[in-house]
Amino acid sequence: MTEFSEKLILPDIPNLHTIDVYEQHGGYGALRKALAMQPDAVTDEVKKSNLRGRGGACFPTGLKWTFMPKQSTKPKYICANGDESEPGTFKDRQIFEFNPHLFIEGSVIAAYAMGVKTVYVYVRGEYAKWIKVLQKAIDDAYAKRYIGQNILGTTFSTDVYIYRGAGAYICGEESALMNSLEGDRGYPRVKPPFPAQYGLWGCPTTINNIETLSNVPVIINHGWEWYSKIGAPKQPGTLLYGISGHVNKPGVYELPSGALLTDVIYKYAGGVPGNKKIKAVIPGGSSTMWLRGEEIEGVRMDADSLKAVGTSIGTGGVIVMDEDTDVLKVLARIAHFYHHESCGQCTPCREGCGWMEKILKRFVAGEGRIEDIDLLLDVANNIEGNTICALGDAAAWPVQSVIKKFREEFERRARKTPAPDVYVPPPHLVRLNG
Amino acid sequence: MLSHDNLEKFEQLKTQFPSMKSLTLPVLWMIQEQHGWISEDAMKYVADLLGLPLRHVYGVVTFYTMFNRKPVGKYHMQVCTNISCQLVGAEKISDHVCRRLNIKLGETTPDKKFTVIEVECLGSCGTAPMMQINDDYLEHLTIQKVDALIEELK
Amino acid sequence: MAKITIDEKQYDVDNKLTIIQAALEQGIQIPHFCWHPKLSVAGNCRMCLVEVEKLPKLVIACSTQVTDGMVIKTKSDKVINAQEAVMEFLLINHPLDCPICDEAGECKLQDYAYRYSVGVSRFEFDKVRKPKRVELGPNVMLDTERCIMCSRCVRFCDEIAKKPQLTFTQRCDHVELTTFPGEKLDNSYAMNTIDICPVGALTSRDFRFKARVWEMSSTDSVCVGCSRGCNTKLWVRNNEVLRLTPRFNPDVNEYWMCDYGRLETFKHVNAGTRIKAPLIRKDGKLTEVGWDEAIAKVAFELKAFKKHEIAAVGSAHATNEDNYLLAKLMSHLGVTRIDFMRHVVEGDEDDILLRADKTPNNTGAVEVGIGTQDNSGGFHSIINDIRQGTIRALYVIDDNVAADPSVAEALSKLDFLIVHASNEDATTNLADVILASSTYAEKHGTMTNFQGRVQRIRPAVATSEQDRSLDGFAMSRLDKFGAHNDRWAKGTRRDARPSWRILTGVAGALGARWKYASAEDVFTEISSTIDSFKGMSYLRIGSRGMMVARHTETVGKRA
Repeated sequence: MTEFSEKLILPDIPNLHTIDVYEQHGGYGALRKALAMQPDAVTDEVKKSNLRGRGGACFPTGLKWTFMPKQSTKPKYICANGDESEPGTFKDRQIFEFNPHLFIEGSVIAAYAMGVKTVYVYVRGEYAKWIKVLQKAIDDAYAKRYIGQNILGTTFSTDVYIYRGAGAYICGEESALMNSLEGDRGYPRVKPPFPAQYGLWGCPTTINNIETLSNVPVIINHGWEWYSKIGAPKQPGTLLYGISGHVNKPGVYELPSGALLTDVIYKYAGGVPGNKKIKAVIPGGSSTMWLRGEEIEGVRMDADSLKAVGTSIGTGGVIVMDEDTDVLKVLARIAHFYHHESCGQCTPCREGCGWMEKILKRFVAGEGRIEDIDLLLDVANNIEGNTICALGDAAAWPVQSVIKKFREEFERRARKTPAPDVYVPPPHLVRLNG
Repeated sequence: MLSHDNLEKFEQLKTQFPSMKSLTLPVLWMIQEQHGWISEDAMKYVADLLGLPLRHVYGVVTFYTMFNRKPVGKYHMQVCTNISCQLVGAEKISDHVCRRLNIKLGETTPDKKFTVIEVECLGSCGTAPMMQINDDYLEHLTIQKVDALIEELK
Repeated sequence: MAKITIDEKQYDVDNKLTIIQAALEQGIQIPHFCWHPKLSVAGNCRMCLVEVEKLPKLVIACSTQVTDGMVIKTKSDKVINAQEAVMEFLLINHPLDCPICDEAGECKLQDYAYRYSVGVSRFEFDKVRKPKRVELGPNVMLDTERCIMCSRCVRFCDEIAKKPQLTFTQRCDHVELTTFPGEKLDNSYAMNTIDICPVGALTSRDFRFKARVWEMSSTDSVCVGCSRGCNTKLWVRNNEVLRLTPRFNPDVNEYWMCDYGRLETFKHVNAGTRIKAPLIRKDGKLTEVGWDEAIAKVAFELKAFKKHEIAAVGSAHATNEDNYLLAKLMSHLGVTRIDFMRHVVEGDEDDILLRADKTPNNTGAVEVGIGTQDNSGGFHSIINDIRQGTIRALYVIDDNVAADPSVAEALSKLDFLIVHASNEDATTNLADVILASSTYAEKHGTMTNFQGRVQRIRPAVATSEQDRSLDGFAMSRLDKFGAHNDRWAKGTRRDARPSWRILTGVAGALGARWKYASAEDVFTEISSTIDSFKGMSYLRIGSRGMMVARHTETVGKRA
């Protein structure tokens, strides 16, 4: 793999978030270039670049765009997904803060490619500060006719609006996001139909992650061939690796896809405080399967490489745990999170997430039993694959992987003496109302 | 219930969405910005303003954790305790905040100045541990920083 | 069309159907909670997960459309595993209070727990606590802990009743069904949510704790609350009607009925105001007599009047058979003044089920020869002529015509008033002879709704002359296994008769030789003498009814 050190999404340019600085560095050139192309040619460029979604599912972006009907009597929409709520993920926020115009430019290009007249940017409610930054950038872009009517003097027009979430992880799920944007409870929808056929208000809709759209101007500027050679061939480009937990220099690092996980941890994030050993690493946000410290050597950070070792790239949010970490406590916290964030719509996730948390808390309290390990695994297996959306899977995977990778921790923590018999009164002695 | 400015904003927002229902969240945000929380009367107002059933607004308000169903203190301290923060001592931070203010998580100080709650990941994992006070993120927290902050806000 | 395989058998099905619909059409039940044929698909319960060949994950049968060549497995290990998993999840926070739950015995969750669950739980923690005994509305009680969040009730209010009153609040296992604080679930159709609730979360405040469902018999009937004629089931224990529920009829009421019909059309059957036997006014006082004496008295008195001095009032509450024989009796006597009273409440209707005409049989009364559709010179002119003294004797069946004080005042001028009545009312107060008639819950017969649909009613409550087991009544467990010494097998029986039978007796006493042994005999004659009923029989009417033939020139006329 050739060493590529350029930062495409978050270059080190002071005040790049201002439109003037952005323009001085060639900003909105890609839009100008794209508007001179046929819309299909723009989609084709993105398709050939092999850009894959950065929100976790790694779906080929260009292919997704082609799902949008070319002829539609209904309006078409883009939702830019800035809900960024997966624990360990804090990259899109950097784009809003440091390079919002790149994202805006990418969105407008995407709108042009798909014939979309309205782009909604769904941003999590807590990002109040970045909503302000992004709104300023959007206003400036309107003023310079990069957004709005007759963009850059062409016949193409599109609007970009921000929609503020209000505290619900599930709204990062694309169909829940659409329901939220329609002003409803953030319940995921049953699929099919898929958004490209039946999205916002029943109209064709494409949902792309903020980082994904931010890659589009880069591809248009440099061409698909150039882009597709960066990093891992099947998932090219740079990734914004967010690294947190037990590292000396946590933060977001932009590196080519397929970077060595050990490089991310040691070379960029400065290694583990106190030079401790690594007990476990979560490679792509809280929902991805864990790796044991011994397993990370040689692992590359891209979709296929991580799949080969039984996990996934997710959002690229790396969480490092040192040798002193109580993994059950961490897992219990993850289980609490998924329990809290389950929308409560479908049975396995609504009921199962709470159950998993209860079992894990029992372990943390030293009351877990050997049989609980398989029970916990069974509950996770019974959730996985049986739910409306992927939140159920996201809740099950960490549990499954920690049991697989750290079973000895559970066994060590299980209570040695049997629990005292609980007296269960026969039914005729049960008093109702107390 | 909406201020003059917000009513103007509301009129402008109407042009951005093909359905009034979409304005549920934006209008609730405006209400909360003005009043600090969302009362049942406020929900009635929103339902009326948007021409939507009351139950719709109620369902929405109770789904999203950022909508306050009761008044909160002047400083709404939202301490992240999710994994990245947990790994670097979030529990100590939240315990300390509670001890300093002599309240439990979810409570408000008698002088109505501080409310402390535990929240899920706020996307500040690289600068953990952290908390959000009203709209502002306070990152790289230490016990000393928390002490100084509470002293300053008191 | 699509060729599909379900559990190794091949079927040709409409390719617009979902798996659950296609299977149902072939008589294959795929277990489900949230899916309902008349509501939008929610897909939340996950009980209908099935395996489809070539698909990596199980799919929900309620939202997956069939495709040609689709191979579906509903009983594979994977499916059974998923069903057991879903059942276990549903039950962990469910209170499992079946012994005190009204739904027990007709509970989907309970039934499925036997059929699709392993029978034990591995859940050992405190269950999530939620509000209990919530008065959701005037007619509906909510136990939030029993709720499995299937959203059927929410969708019903939105989509069928068009009153969005219910919502879920909160998230995860803290989700609660509720109305907006202070609002009530008070739409006209609210109690249908009780029927479609697959668990005991929503129960009827009227019926709560009155009976276990297996103690009751259920009899197919028709609601008498308005001219819609919603198909119903009458639920009876110990010879007492305890509740009504709607019965599916796609041409009339789908799966629904209104709360008014459900609550207000059966209480009179059990009421203390019931006329328990025939009564004759002796020395100004109504006195119980035997049927022979009462009928002889009626015949004797009627003979004393000239035919133009007699009039008859049929009833839109009575059956076609009752009205037909009243018309026939009057024709036998040469009496021409015959009509019935209309009960139309203008404006009290909607475009769902409720009709302004508050009687079940207006169309039927006209069809069998009582009065005319346009009411020309009928009921009111009869009352007028009573006031004038030209009509001196009146024969009224099954309608409280004197509820209107001006009518009551006129009736007090009569020389002789014969009334068929099931309950004491303003009209019986004025009667000289009261012939105790059966309610719609105690007799066979047909009613014709506003569409012209002829539908059957059946006895659910036994009168003195009927026997539950010998007369083909629907039987409950108690009826089947109750011995004579069981208290609950000894409900009140009244010495009442259906009006068609009373009229047959009166006709006999007046020299006619009618040979009707059953309501069906009467109906057979109707179908052979009145064109619009041609080709009908009790058997052919069945459970869904039959439309009368609409020939304008023959409506109301004898063939």
